[in-house]
Amino acid sequence: MTIGKSTVPASVQRPAGFAILQIVLIPVIAALNYVTGVIINILKLPLFMDTWATMFGTVVAGLWVGAAGGFLYNIIMAFTLWGLPAWVWGFINIYIAVITWVLWRIGWVSVKSPAKLVAAGIIVGVTNVVPVTLISWGVFGLMPTYAGTAWIYAAVLASTKDTLSASVVSSIASEIPDKLISLVLAAVVASRMPARFTLRPPKA
Amino acid sequence: MSSAAFGILRSGYVARDSFVHRLDGRTKFLFFLWISVFNYVFYDLYVTIVSFVVVMLLVFDARIQRFVATVLVIIVLPIVLLGVGIIGGPFGFAHNKTAIAAVQLFGFTVGIYLEGTVYVSVWTSRLAVTITAALLAYVTTHPSDLAAIMLKSRLPYKFAYAFLATIQLIPILTNEITTIYQAQVSRGLNVQAKLIDRFKSIIVLMIPLTLGAINQTQIRAIALESRGFSAPVKKVMLRDPTLKTSDYAVMLIMAAMTCVFVYLIWTRGLVPFMAGIEYVRPGG
Repeated sequence: MTIGKSTVPASVQRPAGFAILQIVLIPVIAALNYVTGVIINILKLPLFMDTWATMFGTVVAGLWVGAAGGFLYNIIMAFTLWGLPAWVWGFINIYIAVITWVLWRIGWVSVKSPAKLVAAGIIVGVTNVVPVTLISWGVFGLMPTYAGTAWIYAAVLASTKDTLSASVVSSIASEIPDKLISLVLAAVVASRMPARFTLRPPKA
Repeated sequence: MSSAAFGILRSGYVARDSFVHRLDGRTKFLFFLWISVFNYVFYDLYVTIVSFVVVMLLVFDARIQRFVATVLVIIVLPIVLLGVGIIGGPFGFAHNKTAIAAVQLFGFTVGIYLEGTVYVSVWTSRLAVTITAALLAYVTTHPSDLAAIMLKSRLPYKFAYAFLATIQLIPILTNEITTIYQAQVSRGLNVQAKLIDRFKSIIVLMIPLTLGAINQTQIRAIALESRGFSAPVKKVMLRDPTLKTSDYAVMLIMAAMTCVFVYLIWTRGLVPFMAGIEYVRPGG
């Protein structure tokens, strides 16, 4: 290990293969986000859940791996099925990775404390409404895009005559259960992972 | 998203001999970016319809119309139906004034309104154009060319690897989840069960899939290292895409059309052709 002029070792160097493992995990997270859509389709569930792997990646391999995997998923979708403007959804995945990392650091993303885990899922869902609404404004013109909450959108629009309020309320209705279940799934799968698969860097 | 849409990403590159296929990937992605940006700048249904016709002509040339039609039906059509039904309908979109069709029901006017319908049509046709242009670029460009283009564009090779590996991993993991699903069904998994039970089913499907994927990650990392992935040397590619005369011709047309669009915005604003339709901002 090169220490330079200092005589005090800066830290214990990470194994050389560790960085490669993290880079290889990024496409796995992106693909898992994508394949979750297949499962949701098979099980006919009324959710998206295309951020759970971002949360999982953040928990098992660190913030930047989760954020990069999530962002890459949205880039792939934007350049294929969703069209260019949809790349901005990538910022949602970065936000999800950041907030998951913060909640994980304070010990709320763990199956050992279910109440905190549920609270964490609700926090992620509620706070995620802001970036979702911003993107919906710029890309979809605040139109209803999800059939599952379209009736909520229609009801709020009919009472307020305001597409922004309709979009916010229908986002709240879909985001809270979606992010709550995604976070629970990420925590459960992470808890079932054998220690030899853990991709967090060894502590100094 | 339905399984048909996933099938499109699974199939990836479609080999054909067409004008679009022979274009360099950079030209196609530049076209995709260019047409997407201008469609989001104009608030004019005529502009987006002409753009859509142009993109569809290229789609027919590349003979990928079935792919494109499937994706548009799956992704755009539901948004059109929801949008016209709610925003174009009698639910109180603030700009609705002119009824296209209306009936009186119990003293209330129930109808479809011009302003809301145009609003939905503009936004959804923008989506249709960008999705079609994206598919055109993606489906007609060989993955090896994609990697070469990324490296030539000075993107980090790690990003190029991650992008291409994701595209390769998607069909692999999709096949794996099919196998896991069949195995779990043979062990009694009921996908027709109550909603709560179906949520629980996600865990029994995701754990084997995720652990398998993580296991493969380690093998993949060893394989990459054995090929000098992190070696501090200049990376070379098997394919070397070059710009041809047809690429320069397409770029020239885009440059000329950009001048026309800028002139239109300068002289006629963001709604150059739709007479009598006001510009409606989202939420405005």
